[in-house]
Amino acid sequence: MADAAVHGHAEHDQRGFFTRWFMSTNHKDIGILYLWTAGVVGFISVAFTVYMRMELLEPGVQYMCTEGMRFFAADPGDECTPNGHLWNVLITAHGITMMFFVIIPALFGGFGNFFMPLQIGAPDMAFPRLNNLSYWLFVAGSSLAVASIFAPGGNGQPGSGIGWVLYPPLSTTEGGYSTDLAIFAVHLSGASSILGAINIITTFLNMRAPGMTLFKVPLFSWSIFVTAWLILLALPVLAGAITMLLTDRNFGTTFFDPAGGGDPVLYQHILWFFGHPEVYIVVLPGFGLISHIVATFSRKPIFGYLPMVWALIAIGVLGFVVWAHHMYTVGMSLTQQSYFMLATMVIAVPTGIKIFSWIATMWGGSVEFKVPMLFAFGFIFLFTLGGVTGIVLSQAGIDRAYHDTYYVVAHFHYVMSLGAVFALFAGIYFYIGKMSGRQYPEWAGKVHFWVFFIGANVTFFPQHFLGRQGMPRRYIDYPEGFAIWHAVSSWGAFLSFLSFLWFIGLVFWTLRYGARVTENNYWNEHADTLEWTLPSPPPEHTFETLPRREDWDRAHAHARAVNDGGNEGRSVPAE
Amino acid sequence: MPCEWHDEMGAPDETGAPSRVRVLECWPHRSLPRRGFAAFFAITGALVAVPLVSVLGTPVFGFVLVPVVLVVGLTWVMIERSYRDADLIEELRLSPRRMRLERRDPDGRTRDWEANPYWVRVRLHPEGPVENYLTLAGGPREVELGAFLSPDERLELKDDLERALGDLRAS
Repeated sequence: MADAAVHGHAEHDQRGFFTRWFMSTNHKDIGILYLWTAGVVGFISVAFTVYMRMELLEPGVQYMCTEGMRFFAADPGDECTPNGHLWNVLITAHGITMMFFVIIPALFGGFGNFFMPLQIGAPDMAFPRLNNLSYWLFVAGSSLAVASIFAPGGNGQPGSGIGWVLYPPLSTTEGGYSTDLAIFAVHLSGASSILGAINIITTFLNMRAPGMTLFKVPLFSWSIFVTAWLILLALPVLAGAITMLLTDRNFGTTFFDPAGGGDPVLYQHILWFFGHPEVYIVVLPGFGLISHIVATFSRKPIFGYLPMVWALIAIGVLGFVVWAHHMYTVGMSLTQQSYFMLATMVIAVPTGIKIFSWIATMWGGSVEFKVPMLFAFGFIFLFTLGGVTGIVLSQAGIDRAYHDTYYVVAHFHYVMSLGAVFALFAGIYFYIGKMSGRQYPEWAGKVHFWVFFIGANVTFFPQHFLGRQGMPRRYIDYPEGFAIWHAVSSWGAFLSFLSFLWFIGLVFWTLRYGARVTENNYWNEHADTLEWTLPSPPPEHTFETLPRREDWDRAHAHARAVNDGGNEGRSVPAE
Repeated sequence: MPCEWHDEMGAPDETGAPSRVRVLECWPHRSLPRRGFAAFFAITGALVAVPLVSVLGTPVFGFVLVPVVLVVGLTWVMIERSYRDADLIEELRLSPRRMRLERRDPDGRTRDWEANPYWVRVRLHPEGPVENYLTLAGGPREVELGAFLSPDERLELKDDLERALGDLRAS
């Protein structure tokens, strides 16, 4: 056994900058690295959309000319041949980076790494060095994704314009090696996510504090676990699919080429078998964060903890059996379409349980409109709106009309861009004091919220109208008739971008000049998970020894207090 | 508390009667029971079969099967590895004349410590390197006990141990 170490245990952080950030095996440091990297890639991805919305501001092509990209509108006299390839490249890059390299790394990699082990009282992840590998694979993948934009691609131009879903035959016939780089990027991101998921699953299953049975685990940790599990089930299938794309492109196989007996629709099935769980992978960690935020700022415990957990699990399981609702128009039988329709609509049940439980949590609570709570409200509103258009799109018949129109664009941006991103911002405002030890100025966060909330709605709400008018997705140009709503949408995008720049400034200001946080729990006693028992920022090593049960179990602490007479015989815990 | 007391028959003492040895075993807490491990892989296996069944009989099958098997297999190996990382045990054997502590680490290394129970003191350091650090003094060197337990568990262990030592000295 170890000799006793009673003396000489003063420990403080002696790691240099390089050791700490480049060779990190500490789950908190890796979480922060994930957030920063995702932020950088996110900025690139958002910049692309701003450029695209500039192009769509007016009918005709003013910026993306074959003669060269412009950042100021071409004069009417100037020669400007529309460069559709550039447009397609930007669409593809925006989709791939947002899906694989921004939201998942930020919510799952960033917040999951930082807070899941803290909430379950584990000293670190089960495999700290594997965690480091996951992070660097993600960085390598992001670099490849960015490289694929500049590498020689189709139409004799750089980049590949094939859409993030990489459908064959478009993706298998695109020239150059840009598409191969994009496929490798997705491979690496997949490997990174899978290793991260295995790590998180092992940590969650095997390293919970004694007494913390599965149905006592905080909701955020649950959401991270279900996300990890979806990654584990879905990403290997994607890896198989894109490997076949790679061999179709480079080694003359014909998995997806009818000329050689292959089937392009089969690719769509495999892709969406991954792709539908993917959207839950994107949004579930957000559900977890929102649950904690709503409970904290309503000063009530979360309503219906157990149904909330089962709803997470149900959403995860159902997510695997609805994939073909993305492809109603490929020629499935009526029976198949009916099944996928019904199964899709069933998902509204667990999702409804979550939304109504959040509302019930607020009901009768003393709601405080701090910035994280504003973002949580924004999330609930926008996600519900996106969910309702999802029900509309789930009808195979209606989908015939809406398929590949702006209605779909509006729908998935409401659930993902607005839903998941609002949850991400809510999480950042909720936890930035815990992670950095400094607090943001409340008013500046409120400015960010209102500008972004208005901007995002102005951007995406008119896209419903465009879709209903028949504006198809993925086009660089449009007829005069669509001009009004495109202009409104573009101005909304510029406003949202402004709020994003404001947010970036706010983060740097907070990290440098923000008020120092001195308390462990700077919100209130309803932020009652284990991370709030630690100093802000938490020390390098946390929970080296197992936490006390009273620290995480309110009911237990309550019973203890009553038995010890610690709360003077009252039946409610002293607050 | 992941600790267990049981009695064993030790070597006979001077009178020839077999002596009673009290044995305490402690091991680190792991939150996944073996049944949970089985349930996790049963559910995962069932769900992962959905895409496999849907591509059954197409040339695509192998390309989907291989990554799926690799990933689920790796998860299996890693969870097993996490069990093994905590596969350590501290065994304390108490007999009237001899007290022996043996610790087996995950890498198979064993360390031991022996003392005369008469001189052994169980010491609690409430502030210690970790909360309620528990050590045994009175042997060749001071050793720690149950550093992997929670602070409350170590407190409980201290009481149990002092009672056992008291009984031993009284007999």
